[in-house]
Amino acid sequence: MLNLPRWQTITIVTVTVLAALLALPNLLPDRVMNVLPGWYQQSRINLGLDLRGGAHFLLEADLRGVMNERLVNLSDSVRAEMRKQQVAFKSVDIDGGKAVVLVLRDEAQRAKALEGIRALDPTLTVAGTGDTIRVAYAEVDLTRKRKEVIDQSIEILRRRVDETGTIEPTIVRQGDDRILLQIPGIKDTTELKRKINQTAKLTFHLVDENVAATGQNLPTSLPPTTFLVPTREGMAALRAANPKAYDDIQAANPRLSPEQICRRYQPQCLPVLKRVVVGGEDLDDAKSTFENQSNGGRPIISFTFNAAGGRAFCAATRANIGKRLAIQLDSEIISAPVVQSAICGGSGIITGQFTTQQTQEQALLLRSGALPATLTIIEERTVGADLGADAIHSGTVAALVGTFFVIVFMLISYGPVFGGFASLAMLVNMLLVFAGMSVLGASLTLPGIAGLVLTVGMSVDSNVLIYERVREERANGRSAFSALAMGYEKALTAVIDSNLTALIAGVLLFGFGAGPIRGFATSLSLGLLTHLFTATIFTRMVLALWVRWRRPTELPL
Amino acid sequence: MLWRAHHLINKRTSFDFLAKRRLALVASTIINILSLVGVFTLGLNFGIDFEGGIAIQVRAKQGDIHLENLRTTTHGLGIGEVSLQEFGDNKSALIRVQRQEGNAQCVAHADQVMKKRAGNGWSVVPGAADTGDVTFTSPSALDSGGWRDAVSTVGLTLQDRQLPRGNVNSAKIEMSHEQRAEWCQQVAIKLVEDAIGGQYELRGTESVGPKIGEELMHSGVIAVLATLGAICIYVWVRFEWQFGVAALIALLHDVISTVGLFVVLHLDFSLTALAAVLTIAGYSINDTVVIFDRVRENMRRYRKMSLIELLNFSINETLARTLMTSGTVFVAVLALVLFGGPVLYSFSVAMLWGVIVGTYSSIWIASACLVYMKLRPEQFRAKAAEDEKEAKA
Repeated sequence: MLNLPRWQTITIVTVTVLAALLALPNLLPDRVMNVLPGWYQQSRINLGLDLRGGAHFLLEADLRGVMNERLVNLSDSVRAEMRKQQVAFKSVDIDGGKAVVLVLRDEAQRAKALEGIRALDPTLTVAGTGDTIRVAYAEVDLTRKRKEVIDQSIEILRRRVDETGTIEPTIVRQGDDRILLQIPGIKDTTELKRKINQTAKLTFHLVDENVAATGQNLPTSLPPTTFLVPTREGMAALRAANPKAYDDIQAANPRLSPEQICRRYQPQCLPVLKRVVVGGEDLDDAKSTFENQSNGGRPIISFTFNAAGGRAFCAATRANIGKRLAIQLDSEIISAPVVQSAICGGSGIITGQFTTQQTQEQALLLRSGALPATLTIIEERTVGADLGADAIHSGTVAALVGTFFVIVFMLISYGPVFGGFASLAMLVNMLLVFAGMSVLGASLTLPGIAGLVLTVGMSVDSNVLIYERVREERANGRSAFSALAMGYEKALTAVIDSNLTALIAGVLLFGFGAGPIRGFATSLSLGLLTHLFTATIFTRMVLALWVRWRRPTELPL
Repeated sequence: MLWRAHHLINKRTSFDFLAKRRLALVASTIINILSLVGVFTLGLNFGIDFEGGIAIQVRAKQGDIHLENLRTTTHGLGIGEVSLQEFGDNKSALIRVQRQEGNAQCVAHADQVMKKRAGNGWSVVPGAADTGDVTFTSPSALDSGGWRDAVSTVGLTLQDRQLPRGNVNSAKIEMSHEQRAEWCQQVAIKLVEDAIGGQYELRGTESVGPKIGEELMHSGVIAVLATLGAICIYVWVRFEWQFGVAALIALLHDVISTVGLFVVLHLDFSLTALAAVLTIAGYSINDTVVIFDRVRENMRRYRKMSLIELLNFSINETLARTLMTSGTVFVAVLALVLFGGPVLYSFSVAMLWGVIVGTYSSIWIASACLVYMKLRPEQFRAKAAEDEKEAKA
């Protein structure tokens, strides 16, 4: 064990120094940190919500409701299609939220009915015999739709939470139908909850081409039927150029009208007619797709209206070919495509010089009027900032005292030299854990601190195993040298075994646990892993260096 | 005191640990049975993580808290079982409210909160009994945006299609019973807030709906079983099957008696408590493995010793390190108990117990089980010799 290759020493020292550098930002006071470069400040460990204060929500999307609604629409379409195909039917019902059941008057018309259904949507699955036809969405389609609903909900939530000006919200999918929303530092959740459910307002307006033709961004006089609305690009440019103005707009209470925003902050604006052509409540769906290859195959946005919306849209487009139709979402115009032809039949497309990503975003925005599914809060935890500060305080005190206890215990039991080595290895281990958490971007929670304290206690265990073995070997009459070497070697399997078994518990806890408990599992598992390094390699290096330096004939153990 | 090493145990001991194995096994069995009986009769004090419900941390705005006053106030609210405990210092308390049913009483509470917060012109009444519907009536006509804001007063968050269209002064909100039950958690929080908000500051609230509680319970049980299984398999692979079974019995002993401790001390059994149970399992096996490791080593070395002698000898040999490793973790956990604060208290106490019971079970339960399992050293030696031969070849 005394032959320590130079490269190993170099590796160990490098790893330790690197870890120290990575862990350092967590220990330095803010005053010092502020003068250091930004990237270095980044390597601080995130504090969990229970420590920094904030709100944690688990939302469940009512997917069953969405699927039911879809079936209701499908049954409407089936009914309409059957009438169109002149297929006589007794009834069209929804069966157990899974399928639409069509019962024909005349079995002979089955083929015709099936053809009609296929024309409706070729991906539908069809079953049943005789006069009964069961129409259902294919499993693939349902899975896709479920995913879409959740993704869309997440996007809408993100948009709304961003509007409240909160920093670093976490919004992620959890399981099949859940969304986890974590917002640090928030005090009053009532406002947030209201915001979450607030619907973005979507309206279609005609652009007032007479005013627009003047080319002025902010015409001084407007006809009473026209008002100014900032464009999305305009607002994005304003945000980039003058973030403060943007924040002021978001924070303004009462909210500024689009026209006020235009006049006060002068982003790029469009004059549009106040009259609403169609409202977002009449929009059924919008998706990103591609136009026909013959037309160039460019990415486009296609949308569908319900019956009322379709009629209104048809009339408006027929009368305004060649003019622009502005699509306003809340107080921004997200796009203003030119009407190419009368759009009747309830669906239309928006073309333009779009990339696929843009069409996807726009489609999402169009759909983002309302949340696609009802979200129910099934878990809510809020922690006030001062409560978090208390937790940090007690956690820190416990960790420091625990470390102190352990060091004293080791010094008493193994003397200043070996007790000191063990304490050193333990401290290095803690540095590694901190560095590891910084690198992984893991959050430190209060149970996480408990995990750290346990790591402190457990990470001297391997030194204990080694030292006790050395004492035994010494008692068996070995020389100081060989007792050290043998003790180290023979204790190694026990060291690894005991770490691995504890690690099993840690990893499973991470897998099954939720919330702050994961923080505990993370810090404990990480501590055990890094401990494998300090226990086997680091301790060995320290012992070897010491032996080489002191050449002891007697061990102070 | 720190300038030289002190031996916890000065010379090699030769306690006859296994002579007391019957006593230990009987005592442990009784403790375990009592623990199980306690769990099924007295029941565990499940935290809201598993039961669902509400936990509110409050602090008196002035002076100390009066638990009695607080109790009288909260009990009179009619929101089911409410438990109170001092939390941390004598200014703070933890109020726990049982999981809310989505019944008509909850709607009456919503009515109460609505009247208090939005004015007496408001009313909230339940709809048909077979649905979870609720009807709100406002003093003046509101549009859908107004309705959305209004219902958020009682913690109800609605989606567009649930809102009324046009200017109306009455809105029937359609809900399933399940959705109403989840909403009722929010209503109860508001009710408590209204009742005690004058004197107390709400520092943190947690509400776990009925659904999530059941799921956490389910995954918790799976986590414990999976951990025990995985550790048992690990020991089995590393040693012999008898060792695996012995380790499993020792682990079960630790887990069950820890759960028993929660019953006796009436500690909160929450997610952190579950973490403690799993960590105890992972930790207790450490000592066991250390002893097993030595038993295996000695089996090869001392071929003439009887099994009991061999086990006793191995336990004595490793006694110093068993006690030392437990000692270091013990002092670290002690710091958590003393300074870790109220949130970690249950966890820390359980861990402290776990360290002691884990050490005990490694010596008495795990090793004693080996005796009863008729681990035959001869067979094991023969196999070990074969392994060695193979290794050499």
